[in-house]
Amino acid sequence: MTRADDTEATAALFVIRSEEAGWSIADQEALDSWLDESIAHRAAYWRLQQGWREADRIAALGWERAARVQIPKRLWQMAVAACLVLMVGVDMPTPRMDSVENVPVLRFDTPVGGHRVVPLADGSLIELNTATLMKTAVSSKHREVWLDRGEAFFEVAHAEGRPFLIHAGNRTISVLGTKFSVRRDSDEITVSVLEGRVKLAGASSQTQAPAAILTAGDIAIAKGKSTLLEAESEERVRAALSWRSGILDFDNSTLTEAAREFNRYNRAQIVIVDPDAAQIRISGEFQVSNVDAFVRLLRDAYGFRIRSTPQVLAISS
Amino acid sequence: MIDDAALHEWFCGQVLPLEGALTRFIQRNWRVGDDVPELRQDIYERALLGARTGLPMNTRAFVFTIARNHLINRAVRAKIVSFEVLAELENIAPIDLLATERQLDAREQLRRAQAGMEALPPRCRDVVRLRKIEGLSTLEAAERLGVGTATIERQLTMGVRALTDFMLGGSGRLQRPRSVRRRRRAVQ
Repeated sequence: MTRADDTEATAALFVIRSEEAGWSIADQEALDSWLDESIAHRAAYWRLQQGWREADRIAALGWERAARVQIPKRLWQMAVAACLVLMVGVDMPTPRMDSVENVPVLRFDTPVGGHRVVPLADGSLIELNTATLMKTAVSSKHREVWLDRGEAFFEVAHAEGRPFLIHAGNRTISVLGTKFSVRRDSDEITVSVLEGRVKLAGASSQTQAPAAILTAGDIAIAKGKSTLLEAESEERVRAALSWRSGILDFDNSTLTEAAREFNRYNRAQIVIVDPDAAQIRISGEFQVSNVDAFVRLLRDAYGFRIRSTPQVLAISS
Repeated sequence: MIDDAALHEWFCGQVLPLEGALTRFIQRNWRVGDDVPELRQDIYERALLGARTGLPMNTRAFVFTIARNHLINRAVRAKIVSFEVLAELENIAPIDLLATERQLDAREQLRRAQAGMEALPPRCRDVVRLRKIEGLSTLEAAERLGVGTATIERQLTMGVRALTDFMLGGSGRLQRPRSVRRRRRAVQ
């Protein structure tokens, strides 16, 4: 038996015995003097005490449930999201430390076609869409996220006095607790609010953009100094968030717009060769990953001609 | 000099959340798997010794630098490690390699507690449940199960150690006690 093993075994016995009703002053003195003997004793005791205390969660399981594994629905969703990322065959992105300050800045990204759920330390969840790069810094006082590119859905845990800030290009979005998505296409920022309220403002005093308060059902598109607000468009918010279930939802979109959406998720890019084809209107729901089905529909229903190579799907009439 | 209360808070709040990453770091860079708990314990000891004179600004970098140096020292002392392994160790940039760790949220705690319980041997699991769910003392549990208090204590200490490994992100592999009598004497 090694020294570390011995130390840990003794520490475990102290953890158990100190919980007992019969724990006396003399017992406490014995523990204190053992802890004083060596800092290794303290390390072992503190560690087990902490781990054992965290295991108090077992009480929430109860007798019957403790015997079975019950995976909460959210975990299933996360598992499915993780599988999706694996399915596209790209390595799992790993967050990386970027900062040497006390608040660690973590980096998360997804490849083209990727989809990933990132839980934050404060209980908030961020769902990353395809080709997204995000950094987070969460401390006991602040919660900040930088959306460098792509799109993310935020489910912000309510925390009084601890604002949640999202920096996207020249806009900053601040919230207290709500659900919404932010999409960034270079300098264009789109915010779609599913629940609650968020504030969209210029990132600095140099950005002379007026602040806008968005509530559930609102979509704001910000570019440069201007902000376009579409109020009460629940249906469009729903469509804007359909990527979360792997669906693209088009409502009277032009073929150009639809192709642009598909191209965000797939390496094979749809190119529309002639201007007439570009203007036709498309409605319906399509699976993000199944660009072939979409292209087949264009061929069979609209009579377009398709030339396909591994990189390009060219569409012409 | 940092007092024990502050040291305790720093250790539980900032060092222990790194345990999963630290364990993987040691496993990756040390061939003998059985040495891992001992190496980790040594690293904690050195981290606490170092932090006593002043808490580090960046706990993560601090702990992993200690880990790397400790592995190198051990490798040099062991003399059985090839030069290649040593060279590899010296080239490690400890902080960049690692995935993020954080304080667990309630859901993750519950998931780990559950996984930890599943992994316990049935007898040990029952004793831990009596303690955590029904709040029975060692004596009450002994009466309920019709065994001696020493048996209950043995099962509980096994549970404490295995569940701690699980809660802090390790493997939760069981350390079966081999010489309980000797240990008891140490406590009394």
